[in-house]
Amino acid sequence: MFRYYFLLGVRNLRRNPALTALMVLTLAIGVAASISTLTILHVMSGDPIPHKSQRLLVPLIDNGPSRGYVPGAKPNDNQMSYRDAVNLTASGQGERRTAVYGVAGAIEAARPDLPVEDANGLAVENQYFAMFETPFLYGAGWSEAEDKGKTKVVVLSRKKSEKLFGAENPVGKRMRMMNEDFQIIGVLDKWNPLPRYTHLINGNGGSLSGEDEMFIPFSVAIALQLSPNGNTTCQGDSNPGFQGFLDSECTWIQYWFETKNVADRAALKDYLNSYMSEQRKLGRFQRQQPAQLFNVMEWMNWLEIVSNDTRLSVWLSFGFLLLCLVNTVGLLLAKFSVRAPEVGVRRALGATQGDIFRQFLVEAGVIGIAGGITGLLVALGSLALIAKQSKDLAVVAHMDWSMLALTIVMALVASLLAGLLPTWRACQVTPAIQLKSQ
Amino acid sequence: MEIRPILSALLRSKTAPLLIAIQVAISLAILANALYVVSLRQAASARPSGVADESSIFYMSTRPLQKRSHVDTLAQQQRDVEALSAIPGVVSVSQTSQMPLSRSGSTSGWSLDRKQQRSSASVSMYFSADPLIKTLGLKLVDGRDFNAGDISELDTEVEDLDKKFPKGVIITKPLADFLFPGASSVIGKTILYGTGDSAAETRIIGVVERLQSTGASIKPTGEYSAIIPVRISTPFSRIAVRTEPGQRDRVMAEAEAVLRKASPVPMIVRARTMETDRIERYRNERALVWMLLAVCGLLLLVTASGIVGMATLRVAQRKKLIGVRRALGARKRDILRYFIVENFLITSGGVVAGLLLAVGLNQLLVSQLEMTKLPLTYLAYGAGALWLLGLVAVYGPAWRAASISPAIATRSA
Repeated sequence: MFRYYFLLGVRNLRRNPALTALMVLTLAIGVAASISTLTILHVMSGDPIPHKSQRLLVPLIDNGPSRGYVPGAKPNDNQMSYRDAVNLTASGQGERRTAVYGVAGAIEAARPDLPVEDANGLAVENQYFAMFETPFLYGAGWSEAEDKGKTKVVVLSRKKSEKLFGAENPVGKRMRMMNEDFQIIGVLDKWNPLPRYTHLINGNGGSLSGEDEMFIPFSVAIALQLSPNGNTTCQGDSNPGFQGFLDSECTWIQYWFETKNVADRAALKDYLNSYMSEQRKLGRFQRQQPAQLFNVMEWMNWLEIVSNDTRLSVWLSFGFLLLCLVNTVGLLLAKFSVRAPEVGVRRALGATQGDIFRQFLVEAGVIGIAGGITGLLVALGSLALIAKQSKDLAVVAHMDWSMLALTIVMALVASLLAGLLPTWRACQVTPAIQLKSQ
Repeated sequence: MEIRPILSALLRSKTAPLLIAIQVAISLAILANALYVVSLRQAASARPSGVADESSIFYMSTRPLQKRSHVDTLAQQQRDVEALSAIPGVVSVSQTSQMPLSRSGSTSGWSLDRKQQRSSASVSMYFSADPLIKTLGLKLVDGRDFNAGDISELDTEVEDLDKKFPKGVIITKPLADFLFPGASSVIGKTILYGTGDSAAETRIIGVVERLQSTGASIKPTGEYSAIIPVRISTPFSRIAVRTEPGQRDRVMAEAEAVLRKASPVPMIVRARTMETDRIERYRNERALVWMLLAVCGLLLLVTASGIVGMATLRVAQRKKLIGVRRALGARKRDILRYFIVENFLITSGGVVAGLLLAVGLNQLLVSQLEMTKLPLTYLAYGAGALWLLGLVAVYGPAWRAASISPAIATRSA
C-alpha cells in the first residue's frame, strides 16, 4: 500500500503544478539555508582526531604577576614560557610530549638567480609526528638524539617539497635555510586537519586554512635564536637579548601532552600542580591559580574557534527554515482542501481515517523528498558562493556524506511536520456532505 | 468601515489567516534582528582608520636571510627608505614597526601613576623615527610633530625599552580623552610606559585625531595608539609608502626590484597595499552581512508568496459571494478594500506578535551570543516593511477579486 501511495504522491506532484513547485522551492530554500550554515559550523567544531582527542592534552599554567590580578580572572595568555616548556619536557610526564612554536625563515634556492623563498613552519620536538599521527610521504621524523644534539634536520610539507624539488624524493638532500645547512629527513603527505588544532594560536594562515611548510627541532630553533612567529605576551621585567627573553615569563610556546589512557589525565594534573608549587618556592606563579588541562575539543572551545557569527548564522537560518515550514503548511492546506470530494468518495468506499491519513502524509513526504533534492542543489550552490568569500570559508564550506544525508532527512522531516495539520484536516472530511454536494 | 463583518468572517475560518500571521511574526523577528546586526557590522567596517586616502598607501616588508648587527640593520633601513623615496611618484616614505588594520603588531600597557596596580590602557605601539604622520596623512589636532631632537635609537640586544624610552610621544585623541577625561589639552602631560617602579616616564608632545590599531577592534581600544620616535633594529622591517594618487600600483611594482637592488645580501621582500589589509580585516564582517541580507531577501519573498497564495485561495473560495455583493450594488472599490483591509488586519496581528518575538529573539542573542540590545527603531522599520509587504502582496489577488463580474452570481457553481 505504501508503494501505491508513494506513486500516487509522485503523480499528484503534477496536480496544481504552480502550487507544488512553490512548495518544493520554499522547502528547498529553507533547508538549503540551514544546511549551508550548519555545514560550516559542523566543520569548524568537528573533532580533528576523534580516536585520540581525549588523550591529547594542553596544559595551561598561569604565570602572570600578582600585581593587579583579580582572583579568578582568565590567564593573560594561553601559551607557555620557555622555562616551563623545557621543564615539562624534562619531566617525562605522559606517554609523549612536545613543545610547539611558530618559526619563519628564508630558504635559498639551489640556483642563485632564483629569489629567496619564504618558509613558515613549526619548531617541534621529535614526538610531535607520532602524537598527531602525521602521514609521511618520504622518510620520517627525527628522534630524541637529534633533539638533544641540536642536529639541523627538517621535515617539509608535501607542497613545499614539490615546490622546491619537484616530484622527486628529497630525503637526504641538504638545503640552505635561515643561513644554515639543514638536512631533509622527511616529507609529510597531504595533512590538513580541520581546524588546525596543533597550533591554533597564531597558526600560520589562520586556524582553518594555511599550512605549516616545514618542521625543525625545537632545540635547533632555540640555538639559532629564532624569535617566535606569532603572538608573544610579556608580563613583568625581562633582560635584553634572546637569552633574556628565554629566561623571562614571556609566553609564546604551545605545549602538548599525550597520555596512555584517558584516566591518566588526573595524574598529569596532579603532577602539574605539584610542579607549580615547587616553582612557587622559587618565587614564581604568584597568582596561586591551579594548573588547567584541556583535551582537543575543550581546547578549541576555550579558544573560541567557532565564532559567535557562525552560531548567529545557524540560528537565524533555522528561524528561516521555521518560516518556510509554516509557509508550506499553508500551501499544503490549500492543495489538500480542493481534494475533499476525492476523500469523500474514498471514505464512502470503505477507506478508514487511518488510510486517508497515511496516504496524505506519504504525499507530503514525496514533496519533502523533492524539496530535499532541490535543497541539496541550492545548498551546494550557496556553499560554493560562501567559499568565494574567503580562504578560511573555502576550506570549511565542503559538504560531507553526513551533511548530505542530513539535508534529505531534514527536508523529509520538515515536510512531514508541515503535512500533519493539512493531513489531519483531510481526514476530518465527512463523506456524506461531500457526496451530497456533488 | 466594514471592519466588523471582516473580523467575523476571519474568525469563521481561522487557520489560513493564522498561518499568515505566524509567518509575518517570524519574518519580523528575524528581519529586525538581522538588519540590526547588518547595520552594526557595516558601521564597524566603515570606521575611518585615520589614514588619509588609503588607496595611495602601500608598505614593504623585508627580512634578510641572516641576523645582522644593530648598526647594519639601521643602515639598511636608511638605504631602503632613500631608495624608495627616489622612485618617481612617491610622496613620502616612513619606516614603521606596524601598519593599521594589518593584524600584526604589538600593544603595551600604559599607566598614569606609579602606584597603580593595573595599567590604564592597552596601547598599540607604532615605532617610527620617520615622518609617519606625513606618510600616513594623519591629522595632528594638538601639539607638534616630532623633530630631530625627539628621535632616539635602541639596540634591543643590549638595551631595554623601559630604560631608554624617548622623552616625548604622540598619541591619538581617543586615547588622550580616555586617559585625561575633560582636559582641554594634554600636551606636556606625563604618562608611564608600563606599570610600577620600572615604568618609563614620557610626555605627550602631540595628538593625532585618529589612528586605528593593527587589529582595529570595534571596542574603543581599537583607536588607542601611540607613535614612539625610536629607531629599532628588528629582523623584520616595514616601510610605509605614500604615492601620488593613482600611481600606487606602478610604484609598488618598481619598489620590490628597487629594494632587492639596494640590499647587499639576498632578502625576502613583500609588498602589500593598505586596501588589501582593509579587505582582509573586514572579510568576516562582509561575509556575515551578505549572508544576513540574503536570508532577509528570501524571508520577504517567502512571506510575500504566502500572502499571495492565501489571498488567492480566499478569493477563489468566495468567488460566488463576491459576485452576489457586486450584483447587490457593491463597487469594485468596495471589494478591493475588503480584501486589503482583511489582509491588513491579519498582517497587523502578525506584526504585534512579531514585535514580541523580535524582542524575545534579541534577548536570546544577547544572553547567548554577546549581542547588544535591539534599538526600537529597527522594530519600527521592520514592522513598517512587513505592513508594506502585506499591502503590495495582496494587491494583485484583491484586484482580481474586484474584477469578478456580478454576472457570476446568476450562474450556478
